[in-house]
Formats: sequence, structure tokens, C-alpha cells
Amino acid sequence: MSAIVDPPVARPEIIHEPIASSAFGIVEKPLSPWERVRNIGALRKFALLVALAVTWELYARSLANPLIFPTFSATVVAFVQGLFGGDLFTKALTSVRVLLFGYSAGILCAAILTVVAITSRVGTDLLELLTSMFNPLPAIALLPLALIWFGLGTGSIVFVIVHSVLWAVALNTHSGFLSVSHTLRMVGRNYGLRGLPYVARILIPAAFPSILTGLKIGWAFAWRTLIAAELVFGVSSGAGGLGWFIYENKNQLEIPNVFAGLFTVIVIGLIVENVVFRVVEARTVRKWGLQS
Amino acid sequence: MSTAGVAQRKSNLAGTTEPLLSVRGVTLQYKTKDHLVTATYRVDFDVHRSDRFILLGPSGCGKSTLLKAVGGYLKPVEGEIRLKGDAVARPGPDRMMVFQEFDQLLPWRTVKENVMFPLQASGRLGRAAAQEKALDYIAKVNLTAFADSFPHTLSGGMKQRVAIARGMAMEPDILLMDEPFAALDALTRRKMQDELLALWDGTRFTVLFVTHSIPEAIKIGSRILLLSPHPGQVKAELDSLPRGASGADITALEQRIHAMLFADSVEEAVPERAGAHA
Repeated sequence: MSAIVDPPVARPEIIHEPIASSAFGIVEKPLSPWERVRNIGALRKFALLVALAVTWELYARSLANPLIFPTFSATVVAFVQGLFGGDLFTKALTSVRVLLFGYSAGILCAAILTVVAITSRVGTDLLELLTSMFNPLPAIALLPLALIWFGLGTGSIVFVIVHSVLWAVALNTHSGFLSVSHTLRMVGRNYGLRGLPYVARILIPAAFPSILTGLKIGWAFAWRTLIAAELVFGVSSGAGGLGWFIYENKNQLEIPNVFAGLFTVIVIGLIVENVVFRVVEARTVRKWGLQS
Repeated sequence: MSTAGVAQRKSNLAGTTEPLLSVRGVTLQYKTKDHLVTATYRVDFDVHRSDRFILLGPSGCGKSTLLKAVGGYLKPVEGEIRLKGDAVARPGPDRMMVFQEFDQLLPWRTVKENVMFPLQASGRLGRAAAQEKALDYIAKVNLTAFADSFPHTLSGGMKQRVAIARGMAMEPDILLMDEPFAALDALTRRKMQDELLALWDGTRFTVLFVTHSIPEAIKIGSRILLLSPHPGQVKAELDSLPRGASGADITALEQRIHAMLFADSVEEAVPERAGAHA
């Protein structure tokens, strides 16, 4: 064995000067217009929507039975006519008003329940118990009871909407609170924050991604419940919402109008999801780097 | 103005020998799922104004737990912790913490808002005054260009600098630092240590600093408390070396500290005292 030499093979030291960045071909180059257009999510989704509409139109034309499946163009015509000539707009407005009322009430209840849950162990147990009991219960199954308690009107519908919103929002908010990092909690307490200011200024912003998910799910649940409940009866005589509009038109075999009613539900859903929630996301969780 | 703060601190430094923070016979316990763990046993030490006081020890010596107790997150089962004569009862902005984790900044606030937040939340300053003070301290940690950035766009070292600025802007009685540089890379870490010392030269704040690195303790600290593990007990309280001490002196102190901590682990491995010198 030879003696150990360190380094084992003698080599000269090597020192390089880095090349000036101007000598490179590309350091930073703007993307082509086509690449940039493809990066816009809204445009990609719009293209998908157009493709779906074309498919619908072609299929409905080949079927050629407007009583079963009206074409896309017939639906759009019914939609526009209903909106400007008929009562579709007022029906939609009635629905949205009831929806917003029930949705806000549901969120308020969820907020109270979650704050109670976060501040005491009994509250946590209560929330977990109530959620596991009532979350699987379809809101519409409560409608017969609601009709007895609140009568044939807005009260009953608001009640079932609150039921459908409350558990989804409370569950998500609570799990969001629980997942706030220990360090952030300690930071908040270090500032001397306690009680409600602590919840409002530390827990809610930190848990905002989960809360937002809860709000989205709650919104969808509220829509479903509302339309289903309205299918059963109009909110009050002559001022029924979208569900009632759909039901009435089915009875009169105005199938394009039925589709126009469904179409309205979809359009409002798309707008809320892609405009309202998108803007809220962009201004909060995305800006803060909590969600990519 | 911060110069007034400096003057006040200097006069306090000259005027009194009463300790700023006094920890007397503190035993700390915490519960895990199955065990009651004693983290420290009857720890005593005093921190004076403008001390750079280091809690040094191997992992498991309860130094972080001790710091959390000073922070008010934990109540001692025995003994007492007094800050300026008052017993520590709960967390509060007179003892600002700088944590090891990078996620200690509020992600929904910009750098400037993060530094302003405790100033406003504690009701100490109005918005305009808080903003002025925040910008002042952000400049001290060389982050003026990033005042309006959100934390997720910063590097780890920058986040820690914001956290230090946030702690210092409150001008707390004592700044509690829980291994603030441990998660940084070695190069950034050295730079941050130099910056911390430069900041101290400017304002002479009191800091209680937890670390498990002997070189960091000697470099940062003016006084070093050595803790032995399982449970943490005071092993020694030493003076650190003045800045600019020779390399040989530093090495000697490092070896002395190392021997003290190392003796423990030998005792642990070999129960008889006879084996301790091996």
C-alpha cells in the first residue's frame, strides 16, 4: 500500500472569470403572443364553454325533438326573451334575494358556532357532534317540517338554506382554525391579543383558504337547496323564484323555457364562482402566498 | 425618535444593578400524551439590562421551554420569573419573541404592516407613528426596498430580519430569540450574526438568545448560561469573550464549554464517576 496523499492526485488550482451576461444568447425573453394567450385561464375556460355549446347544438339538431331536448340556440332565445320580455329576470332576482339572505344567515350561525368551538372544549365537542349529525341530513328532507314551523313562504326556504350552508361552512372554518400553525398562534398571543381580536386578526386570516372553500361549498349547497325547495312551491303567490319558473314551464310543456331556467342557474353559478370568488381569492389567499 | 430610546437605555444601564429579568428556582414540566416531562429543574439566572444573554445546551436541555416560560406561554410549577420585579403571568408585547420558524410573519400583511401590527395591536402607537417607526427599523435591517413586499416573496434570511425588526420596533424590555438563525444556511447565518451585533451596537437592547451552537453562543453572547440535559439544570454561567478576541482564546473557550457539555454525555453513558475523565 502506498502512503495516503491528500489530494490523491496532484492537480493545479483552477480559477475562472464568469462571462458577462451580455455574451449569452438568451437571459430573459418575452413569451410569444400565442403562449401568453394560452396562459389566460379565463380564455381557456371560455373556449371549453364554446366547445360544449357547439356539441349541445349539434346533438340537439340531430335529435330534432324540442320537447325532449331543445337546441342551444332555442334555449338562448328563450333565455333572452324571458330576461327582457318575460318574468325570468324578476324570478331570478327573487331567488337570488332569498339565497343571499339565507346564505348570510347561515354564515352568521356558522361564525357563532365556530367561535364557541374554538374557545372551549365543550364547544368543539358540540360542533363535531352537531356536524356529524346534521351534515349528512339533506336540507330538503327538513322542508316538510319547515313548512309546518314557518308556513308556506320565505321563512321555510331560508330555514333550509341556513341548514345546508351552516354545517359546510362551520366544518371547514373549524378545521381551518385547527390547522393554523403553532408559531402564528404564539405570535398573536405575543402581541397580547386574546379572545375575539385574536380570532379576528390572527385565526381568520390564517385559516382563510379553508374558510373560502367552506364558503364556496356553502354557496353551491345553498343554490341546490333553494331550487329544490322552490320546485315544491313558489315563495309566495305570484312571486315564485327560478325553481317555480322551471316547474311551471314544465307543466306547460315550454321545454326551452325550462332549459332557460336551468341555464340561468348555471350562469349565475359561473359568475359567482369565476368572478366573485375569483376576485376574493386573488385579493387574499393568492396575494398572501397561502394558495398558489 | 429612536435616539431617545438609546439614551434612556444607556442611562438605565449606568444607573441600576437590579436585574431586569430574574429567574429563580424555575422548574418546568409539560405533558405529552403519555408522560409528564420535567424540562428544567430549579434553574436560576439573572439578566441585566443590555445583556446579550445566551441559553446554551444540547437538545433536550429545556432551553426553548425556558424561553417560552419567560415569554409567558408556560407557567413554572415551582419558582418564579420576574421581569422588572413583576411576575410573568402571560404572553405580552414587553417580551417580543423571534422564533426559529420562517412562518412567524403574518402572510396576509406586507413587511411594513407586519412590523406595524404589534405597535398598533398593543395600542402603543397610532397608524402614522407606527408606520414611521416601522420604516425606521426596516431600514435598520436593510430591507427598505422590500417594505411593501409580502413575506412569501422573501428569502429565509430576509424573513428573519423582518422578524427581528418587528421585535425591535416594539422596543421591548427584553427580546427573546429562539434559535432565530438555526434554519438558515451557514453563509447567511454568519452574516445575520454580524448584523445582530451591529444592531446591538446601535441600540443596546437586552436579548435572551437560545442556541445549541457553541461558536454562535461565543460570538453573539456577552454572558452564557450552560444547561445540562434531561432535565435542564444550570451547569455554569460564564462570561463570553469580547469581540475581536484572538482565535486561540475562542478555541479555548469553545473547548472548555464543549468539555462541560461532553462530560454530561459521558456520565450518562457510564454511570460511575470513574469513567468521566475518559
